Amino acid sequence: MPRPTLADLVALLVLVLAALGAATLGSRLASVTPDLVLPVVVAGALLRGPTGGALLGLAGGWVVDLVPPGAPVLGTDALVYAAVGLLAGAGRREGQTSVAWVALVGLAASAAAEAARLVLALLSGAGVDWPELVLRTALTALLCAAAVPVLVRLSHVLRRMA
Amino acid sequence: MTQQPHRPRRALTALLLLTVLVMGLDVAGGPGPGLLRAGGGAVFGPVERLVDRVAGAAPAGVAPVRDGVDRAVLHQRAAVGRALDSLVAGSAGAGHDVLPARVVAVGRQGPGGPERVTVDVGSRDGVRPGLGVVSAAGVVGRVAAVAPWTCDVLLVGSPDLTVGVRVGATGVLGSVTSGARGGHPRPAGQLGLTVVQRGQLAPGDAVTTLGSAGGVPFPAGLRVGEVAAVDPAAGVLAPGAGVRPAVDPTRLDVVGVLVGPSRATPRAVLTGAG
Repeated sequence: MPRPTLADLVALLVLVLAALGAATLGSRLASVTPDLVLPVVVAGALLRGPTGGALLGLAGGWVVDLVPPGAPVLGTDALVYAAVGLLAGAGRREGQTSVAWVALVGLAASAAAEAARLVLALLSGAGVDWPELVLRTALTALLCAAAVPVLVRLSHVLRRMA
Repeated sequence: MTQQPHRPRRALTALLLLTVLVMGLDVAGGPGPGLLRAGGGAVFGPVERLVDRVAGAAPAGVAPVRDGVDRAVLHQRAAVGRALDSLVAGSAGAGHDVLPARVVAVGRQGPGGPERVTVDVGSRDGVRPGLGVVSAAGVVGRVAAVAPWTCDVLLVGSPDLTVGVRVGATGVLGSVTSGARGGHPRPAGQLGLTVVQRGQLAPGDAVTTLGSAGGVPFPAGLRVGEVAAVDPAAGVLAPGAGVRPAVDPTRLDVVGVLVGPSRATPRAVLTGAG
């Protein structure tokens, strides 16, 4: 992977759009919103494997950190998403993969991301809103299950075009 | 050929180390991360403002008929106008120079809710780091980072922001910070109040700002919240309490940046009349 391919650039663009969407959506919806960046990272990691997934997660996390208002400590989301990318990349299977497997990887990834944020919050001693946390994890897992197969299919089309 | 598989892994290791380095610098208060934030704000801030303007015109669910859109625009303008009026007329704006602004983005919600928001005024409107931000209900937070067109606001309840306060009718002195600080863990959404001396605290007591030197970030008498629950007093020198914030950070829309003595403010400044 010496040079970024068309699929990499498109993935980065989608990551930027997802991060901007999450930040602006949060200002106009009072309800809990799912993690929009995670499905993109999971889909990319399922195609690229652990190392490529971690690299994509790192890039996506940096975008999330830098889109205002950003993270309280720069780099936190970058490391969280890199870990998620690594985890989801380990779920790559050669050949045809079933939708159920993709959904399972998405569920594991969303649980891992929320768990990482929970640990960070507990380390800082902040209060935890449990119902909201569970609801957001469930929403993110649902979004992953729905969006990841579509994103994977899209990447295959892009690769065939390139 | 044999080197090829190792290159991404090496790049990943280097980038991860770089990320950890930036995190350390940010925690230590080094100069680099501030520049990165300003760069991010300058690049993505205008996009967020644009999205707010475009998406704000037609809330979701409005039929794509011209009349419907027009009605939505009018409704939106009226709602913003009402919020602005109450901000200027309310106690938070009274007598202070307020730069009106709208929240265009909310930070990633941690397990305890959001800690930062972005508003659509920046250094070009005379905003600088350290200014106070209020809404019609009370204190919202303090400006943490400024980009040309947007600025990031640290909300009350973030561990990095402590506000000096007076409590109740007697004006007991204290400070309010994140509910995570101090010996008593508080439920999510509550702030932690520590009183500097022995004094009477009762649930329902109003918590207002003490006032800062020169009125920046906060002039005296702005509403922060009200005492929700007083901690048991056994074994502690000064009583503490949980404070229910006056401002709900998840429902913020129109806010005002309290500009102190300013040098240049291209956006018109309103003076509170209430």
